Amino acid sequence: MPTENPDPQSLLPLPAAAFQILVALADRDRHGYSIMQDVSTRTGGQVRLSAATLYSSIRRMLEQGLVAEPRHSPDPASQDERRRYYTLTAFGRRVAMAEARRLTEMLAQARETGLIPKKL
Amino acid sequence: MIAVRLFRGLLRCLPARFRHEYGQEMVHAFHAELREARLCGGRSAEAGVWLRSLRDLFATAPQEHYHVWKQDVRYALRTLAAQPVFTAVALFSLALGIGANVAIFSLLDAILLRALPVLAPHELVILTDPDARGIFTGMQPGNRQRLTYEEFTQLRDQTRVFSSLMASQAGLETLRIRVNGAAPEETNGRLVSAGYFSTLGVPALIGRTLSNTDGPEPPLAVIGYDYWQRRFGGRPGAIGAQLAVRNTVFTVIGVMPPAFFGEAVGDRPDVWLPLELQPAVLPVGDLLHDNRKDLQKVMWLHAFGRLQPGVSLEQAQAAANVVFQQGLSAYYASAPTEEARREFLNQRLKLQPAAGGSSGVRRSFAEPLTLMLAAAGLVLLIACANLGNLMLTRTTARTRELAVRLALGAGRADLIRQMLTESMVLALAGGVAGLGAAWGFRTGLLAFVSESVQLPSSLEPRVAAFGFGLTLAAGLLLGLLPALRTRRVDTNAGLKEQGRGLTGSAAWMRTGKVVVAGQVALSLPLLAAAGLLLRTLDNLQRVDTGFVKENLLMVRADVERAGYEEPKRQALFDRVHARLRATPGVRAAAYSAHGMLLGADSGDEVAVEGYVAKGEDDQGSRYDHVGPGFFSTLGIPLLLGREIDQRDHAGSPRVCVINEAFAKRFFAGRNPIGMHVTQLYGPQKNTYQVVGVVGNARKRSLRGEIEHRYFVPSAQPIDVPGSVTFAVRTAGDPKVALNEVRRAIAAEEPNLPVTQARSIEELIGERTLLDRLLARLSLAFGAVALLLAAIGLYGVLSYGVARRTSEIGIRKALGAREGTVVAMILGETGWLVAGGLAGGAALAIGGLRWIESRLFGLSATGPAAILGAAVALLGLVALLAAWLPARRASRVDPLIAIRYE
Repeated sequence: MPTENPDPQSLLPLPAAAFQILVALADRDRHGYSIMQDVSTRTGGQVRLSAATLYSSIRRMLEQGLVAEPRHSPDPASQDERRRYYTLTAFGRRVAMAEARRLTEMLAQARETGLIPKKL
Repeated sequence: MIAVRLFRGLLRCLPARFRHEYGQEMVHAFHAELREARLCGGRSAEAGVWLRSLRDLFATAPQEHYHVWKQDVRYALRTLAAQPVFTAVALFSLALGIGANVAIFSLLDAILLRALPVLAPHELVILTDPDARGIFTGMQPGNRQRLTYEEFTQLRDQTRVFSSLMASQAGLETLRIRVNGAAPEETNGRLVSAGYFSTLGVPALIGRTLSNTDGPEPPLAVIGYDYWQRRFGGRPGAIGAQLAVRNTVFTVIGVMPPAFFGEAVGDRPDVWLPLELQPAVLPVGDLLHDNRKDLQKVMWLHAFGRLQPGVSLEQAQAAANVVFQQGLSAYYASAPTEEARREFLNQRLKLQPAAGGSSGVRRSFAEPLTLMLAAAGLVLLIACANLGNLMLTRTTARTRELAVRLALGAGRADLIRQMLTESMVLALAGGVAGLGAAWGFRTGLLAFVSESVQLPSSLEPRVAAFGFGLTLAAGLLLGLLPALRTRRVDTNAGLKEQGRGLTGSAAWMRTGKVVVAGQVALSLPLLAAAGLLLRTLDNLQRVDTGFVKENLLMVRADVERAGYEEPKRQALFDRVHARLRATPGVRAAAYSAHGMLLGADSGDEVAVEGYVAKGEDDQGSRYDHVGPGFFSTLGIPLLLGREIDQRDHAGSPRVCVINEAFAKRFFAGRNPIGMHVTQLYGPQKNTYQVVGVVGNARKRSLRGEIEHRYFVPSAQPIDVPGSVTFAVRTAGDPKVALNEVRRAIAAEEPNLPVTQARSIEELIGERTLLDRLLARLSLAFGAVALLLAAIGLYGVLSYGVARRTSEIGIRKALGAREGTVVAMILGETGWLVAGGLAGGAALAIGGLRWIESRLFGLSATGPAAILGAAVALLGLVALLAAWLPARRASRVDPLIAIRYE
């Protein structure tokens, strides 16, 4: 049962897998394997989610209200109706943005201190 | 495809709920990933997918299980919170049951099971009887209970089988100690040999212990941790403190660690002093040398040792007995006859493992504690059955909810786990509360038992494990019936049920009823035992002691310790006696060596004029020394002749008075007056003429036959008594008069220590202590069992009646009257209760032998009558518990009831 969480900050920092899933769902709803593929493609194969990690994360994110299952499959032409799709909730979007901001600030701080070059 | 099937099988390590929700998707994703890997990267990429998937799966599984468990616990807590009355009853009965069990077990553990807190306790052996306590003078055939100091030193110096050997006083001494010149304070002390601490292998917390190189001079002392804290505020300056005992000043050289109490369980000495200084500490004569004049050994020591490597217990025992026998042969060389000598030599040492140390309380407490633990276990079992039944009823009432959960995808395993989680949460909360209760019970029990018994109060791992095991067992017992019940929940039927939410098959009602009958059966033995033990206690407290108990004090004074030589003692007895009689508030006073019910006694062989002994065992008798007017002061009836009075002084003819049992035994059918009784012990011989016969009176025990006994004037003693007991009959409350009595004794002789001062009521109280403990606890347990049985019966019947509302409605619509309905319900209950009572009666009769030895004064039909009373009481309470729901059933309105059909 999803529990509405009004304060995105309370969930930060997000586990890496959860953030990747949120990013994968940012542009469109996806089913599990599509999320796995998206993450792998975006990271150039650096990050690969396994089925266990993916669904354990999804279970938690559903409970936290970060993602939801849309009532209707977004892709009526889908070959497999049994596939379950996941969509980003408004709260999930706020949390993803907050996490992205947090990561950006950290990166900026690392640049300020000269730990990493101004431009990679 | 094999890989997919394999992966699907591996998913079983995930919780069923998770698998049910996401399993299919996971298999799908894994399959797709594997296919792609094979297309793009071949076998190695495929292996990479496998590796990653497996690693993540096994990492995720525990997290998901933990998550499910957390949800279950949260759900259980919510369910329990929604039923506060049930939860409160459950927690209360579990805390009571678990607490009582843990408290009693912790006492049993401390007294019976726990090893001494010393180095390698399992290597310790004891050469004496670990249960023996105090001092014994004379000869003790068979296995030796205690040793003399000389015997100990012979064993220590002449055997080669022990790597170390030590001796300690077989009793705790109350010493009057002056600390650094302050006023004397009563302190517990024990005399120990120099090797005591090294044999036990325990170093001092600060300073050092007595060691083998320490001689008797300078006098040294080691003190206990509690005493150090209490008397010296835990300051290191205690080392070097001066402890004056009588005229000897001991210097404190060490403080023992907090857990150390020595070798005797139940004792907690404040101070340990060197054995070699006994004459200075305990002026009861020289106990360091065996008296060769009268062949009476004073045995007062326990001996503990550790065996040399490679030496077995049997070898050590044989070797020790060789030395022991040599010592006996030398000592008894002057025995009057060869037969006497043979008898004297019939003594031996029995070596046994001594990890548990010695204990004066072990023997008397072991049986009652075991009985109490059994009773407490029974109560917990009843409580679990009761709660299990209530939970079963709740589960049955929750059928609809469970069916909904099943329909929503929960597995049956989920439901069973949920039920077990609820019962476990309940049991764990009960266990935690029980631990608190146990601490309180234990303190209460110990305070009740004795102020002098000191047991370590730390929570032992074994006790904690027992409590935890008990809690787990209780949780399982509680959850078992409801969990089994959920296996039978039918989704369709459950969802179809409407209306009052009470459903359930008749089979489950039957289970509930069987459990209630079982509860009745288990409660009956507890109630019967409570009845038997209460009657026993009552019999003991009202036992005819043979003397008048009212307003009677027993005051024991130790003339030997006051430094009085034998010839001067009789004059002191007479002086104190005269002063007591003149004391305000004292109606009469008398004295004897042993008094009544104090536990002390004397006995020897006797030769009775005109009586031919039927064997060796037929010529012994107990005796006491009494002052003038003893029997009239105590109200012991004079049956023949006269009592001992002022005429019987040192220079007059030697006379004695015998009790009725003595007259019956040795003068059956003859007139004893004028006949002679001769006391014999070795070469010692004292002949007295019988001048009177008095009634039997209890001197030692409240139970059993009264022993035959004769009484000689203390002015014409067999052995001059070292202590004397004044029997003081007071005008009013003896406790109030006690101060006057103490003052009178101190006024006559300021140095005369009063070692015991008790009213007869108090002494009877001490003698019946364990009986009172057992009676009260069994009464409490019986009452709880009765209450639980009533609650159980009421619960099951209430539920049954509610379930049958419509049936009862139809019966009433068809013309059944209220009385008929009540009779129907009570009739059904009657069979249930009768079955339980029959089972219970069988259990009670079978269990009777466990408490038989503790019963007293019951007639042949007594136990049966008490069992009958218990059956009647339980039956009556059951009837009451059944009557309430039955009456409710009879008031069912047929119209309302049938409307639901």
